[in-house]
Amino acid sequence: MIKLEKLSRAECIRYLGGKNLSVTPQIESLLNECEQKIFETASVKYLYREIPLDSQILHHGNDIEEHLKDCEKAVIMCATLGAGIDRLIRTSQVTDMAEAVVIDSLASVAIEQVCSKVDLIISDIYPGKYLTFRFSCGYGDYPIDLQGEFLRILDAPRKIGLCTGKSSLLTPTKSVTAVMGISKNPIEKRKRGCAVCNMRENCKFRKAGLHCDI
Amino acid sequence: MTFKELLEKKEFIILDGAMGTMLQKSGLKTGEIPELLGISHPEIITGIHKSYIAAGADIIYANTFGANSYKLEGCGYSAQEVIKAAVSNAKKAAENTDTLVALDIGPIGQLLEPAGGLSFEDAYEIFKEQILAGENSDLIVFETMTDLYELKAAVLAAKENSDKPIICTMTFEKDFRTFTGCSVECMVMTLKGLGVDALGLNCSLGPEEMYPIAQQLCKFSPLPIVIKPNAGLPDPNSNTYDVSPKDFAESMAKLVPLGMKICGGCCGTTPEYIEELKNILKDKKYTKNQPLKYPAVCSATKAVDISEPRIIGERINPTGKKLFKQALIDGDMDYILSQAVAQVKGGADILDVNVGLPEIDEKEMMVRAVKEIQSVVDVPLQIDTTKGEVLEAGLRVYNGKAIVNSVNGEDESIETVLPLVKKYGAAVVGLTLDKNGIPKTAEGRFAVAEKIVKAAESYGIPREDVYIDCLTLTVSAEQEGAAETLKALKMVKEKLGCKTVLGVSNISFGLPERELINRTFLTMALENGLDLPIINPNVDSMTGAVRAYKVLKSIDKNSVSFIESYNSANAQEKKPVTPNTKRTLEEAIENGLKSECGAITRELLNTMEPLEIVNQKLIPALDKAGDSFEKGKTFLPQLIQSANAAQACFEIIKEKIASSGNSQVSKGKIILATVKGDIHDIGKNIVKVLLDNYGYTVVDLGRDVDPQKVVDTAIAQNIKMIGLSALMTTTLKSMEDTIKLIRTTPQLQNPDGTSKCVVFVGGAVLTKDYAMKIGADYYCRDAKESVDTAKAVLG
Repeated sequence: MIKLEKLSRAECIRYLGGKNLSVTPQIESLLNECEQKIFETASVKYLYREIPLDSQILHHGNDIEEHLKDCEKAVIMCATLGAGIDRLIRTSQVTDMAEAVVIDSLASVAIEQVCSKVDLIISDIYPGKYLTFRFSCGYGDYPIDLQGEFLRILDAPRKIGLCTGKSSLLTPTKSVTAVMGISKNPIEKRKRGCAVCNMRENCKFRKAGLHCDI
Repeated sequence: MTFKELLEKKEFIILDGAMGTMLQKSGLKTGEIPELLGISHPEIITGIHKSYIAAGADIIYANTFGANSYKLEGCGYSAQEVIKAAVSNAKKAAENTDTLVALDIGPIGQLLEPAGGLSFEDAYEIFKEQILAGENSDLIVFETMTDLYELKAAVLAAKENSDKPIICTMTFEKDFRTFTGCSVECMVMTLKGLGVDALGLNCSLGPEEMYPIAQQLCKFSPLPIVIKPNAGLPDPNSNTYDVSPKDFAESMAKLVPLGMKICGGCCGTTPEYIEELKNILKDKKYTKNQPLKYPAVCSATKAVDISEPRIIGERINPTGKKLFKQALIDGDMDYILSQAVAQVKGGADILDVNVGLPEIDEKEMMVRAVKEIQSVVDVPLQIDTTKGEVLEAGLRVYNGKAIVNSVNGEDESIETVLPLVKKYGAAVVGLTLDKNGIPKTAEGRFAVAEKIVKAAESYGIPREDVYIDCLTLTVSAEQEGAAETLKALKMVKEKLGCKTVLGVSNISFGLPERELINRTFLTMALENGLDLPIINPNVDSMTGAVRAYKVLKSIDKNSVSFIESYNSANAQEKKPVTPNTKRTLEEAIENGLKSECGAITRELLNTMEPLEIVNQKLIPALDKAGDSFEKGKTFLPQLIQSANAAQACFEIIKEKIASSGNSQVSKGKIILATVKGDIHDIGKNIVKVLLDNYGYTVVDLGRDVDPQKVVDTAIAQNIKMIGLSALMTTTLKSMEDTIKLIRTTPQLQNPDGTSKCVVFVGGAVLTKDYAMKIGADYYCRDAKESVDTAKAVLG
């Protein structure tokens, strides 16, 4: 069971375009209320599975090959905050759009937090080994339309209700799929690019050609 | 042997175990499509079926779980081919036995609207194809379902395209909910209404973990109970299960006293499990469960028990409401949805939905309204229309057990409405009037009520699902009428044993202090047996009267709900409201203070012209808010709050202008749409809020919008500016297609061949270069830039 913990305010504010923002009590209470709603609504679920390196799904383009270079195994994973969060975002758009964007953004922070926790769970299974960062389809030349295949291998629609459709959008929307390499040797610290960031679709930095430096 | 005979003759009906587990044992590789083995290796499939029959299965599930056109796309075989082969394999295995073959249908694998992109209608078509292909099976099983809406599409497809028995099993988590939030109670109520033959639980949990959920199921379901659990819980990495065949059977035996009738195994179970199960049940006797009987309706996630008074919200109805009518004509769903949400917040337990207006296509609007309202509120809906086809369309897409408003004592009404009520498993409001009008006396109305109840029962609609409306007459016109209504109400309640419903507000037409009359009449009606008052839940005194009544009648035990309602209401009022000091309009907008904005605007209107306020105060203040946002000094929610505050100001200015008879204040019309295939629309909605508040009229076409619809709207409403958004790289193609269609439609071109429309685009994955490449006029990075663009184009 993964339990959500305090969501990073700084990340949320950054996602929503705040750079030099002074956090007033009003903003603080808006963030707190939205976080509380997310905690009450989210139903965190995840799956992972080791797959052999010669699996078809790992051989689409150069970027994934590069990512898994020197690895001996790969683990694919997926995680979701559940359909309730989508409903919460939908309903809040009707009543208060300002709240809706905060919930939307905090939920992105939350799914990122979930993924980091899944990372830890997986690394516990491979003591003494090293994990690459999460590499998702849609990045570089790794095709986004592998999304369905990821979910099928993980049996995600049935096990955690995570699906996709013709547009390869994950539904529920606050969800992630990714692949990680397992290596005997320490993995050269690469800067985690926008590649595997779940905010990349909405990221102001990326759009401005910058990086958030995480 | 038929399924019905099995039910009668067998103490317990034994189902098979897992197919997938067996296929993995025979070497199915990860990612391979299990259903295709029925064509490539029929002998493996037949062998598995035979082993389950040998273990004692009375019903085997054909290997058709995922054989639908969505999952099989690109595999080289059609759903029809795969299903026909699978059913024939199962039939072959069952030759010379009494074993029945079920067409096994699992979820499509794609989420339905509103969470996903698949429409209810498309889901129906996918299931229909499967049902028709499986015509040689003996019965139909829908299993592992987590979305009640999807299951409803499936059951309708089965009912309308075959006459086979239907078993439905859904998958619940330990929290008694499915992934989409469906509860056991809502499942039972909805599926029972749709007329399935047995229902139950499968997958996700082992038999021990399933026990409490089965307990709940047996509490509610009058239909035969089906239990098909996993062999315990899976190990996440190895995908193996932890309960042995013997332990599995022992745990299953514990479910017998609850009322289990039909049982088998899901993931991880094998013929050994089924054999043990069969053995352990050999000497056991089936004990029929005793489900609760109570009047209730539900959405997919919330059941409303009407053993106590419940409020039906009346505000989704255009009668006498100018703004509502305009919203319907404009297709402005936001207005309707905000009414829905506000009523639920006010205390409505059920919402009436009436969208009848001569100017619009009522059927289309009803479908849209039902779908969208149920996507933002969880209370059950009451479909309110006088037209049979509108009623059916609304009932069809409703997710849960609805109320139909209404049938009356005329034969024509009875013959049109009641078959639909039965087919869709709804409850129905019976109006005590017929071709001679409203009977004057209570006895006359009672007679009509009696006729309706009898007619309903003859259609198989139980009495507890008929809610009689004894009709409120205007007391200023017919003063004795009020007493007659109350008398009829009491008679119906006592002699017919029906639940009662009453629109209350009509009572006070033509009188001053209407609320006072309404509230008093409401209280009297409640005391005479009214169960379902139809009122405006946002009038505190009316909702309050119902709450107080429940306290005084000892329905609201220890006044818990009453105290809660008023404590939280007080808390809301105590929210810090900045004191109304001498703030300027600019400051109020900058700080997002909506109510202050309104007050200041009213004051300003004494000394300034409306348009002066807009141009000299409002727009500059919004620009300033936009500027701070651009610099990162504020973040998006603050910009939206400022925009909302400006909206309050705009509303008042619009009122003023309208009252002085001048032309509209709109600065021009703009179409907004999230393109075909894309359902993530928060970005588009943010743009909408800002454009609205800058004084533009936005025609919001929603999400997943067909290119043709954009073009048709632009032509019909003569709109020159179109904004499109797309979130995914995969849907950019739709954006390109939409722009292409705009550019090539002759009606949207000037005589010199240039385009009449300005197209601006935005969305996460879009870049300026790409936007230009696909033929857009403007690329807008965010909502603020969209406003800048609108200003540049429309002024």
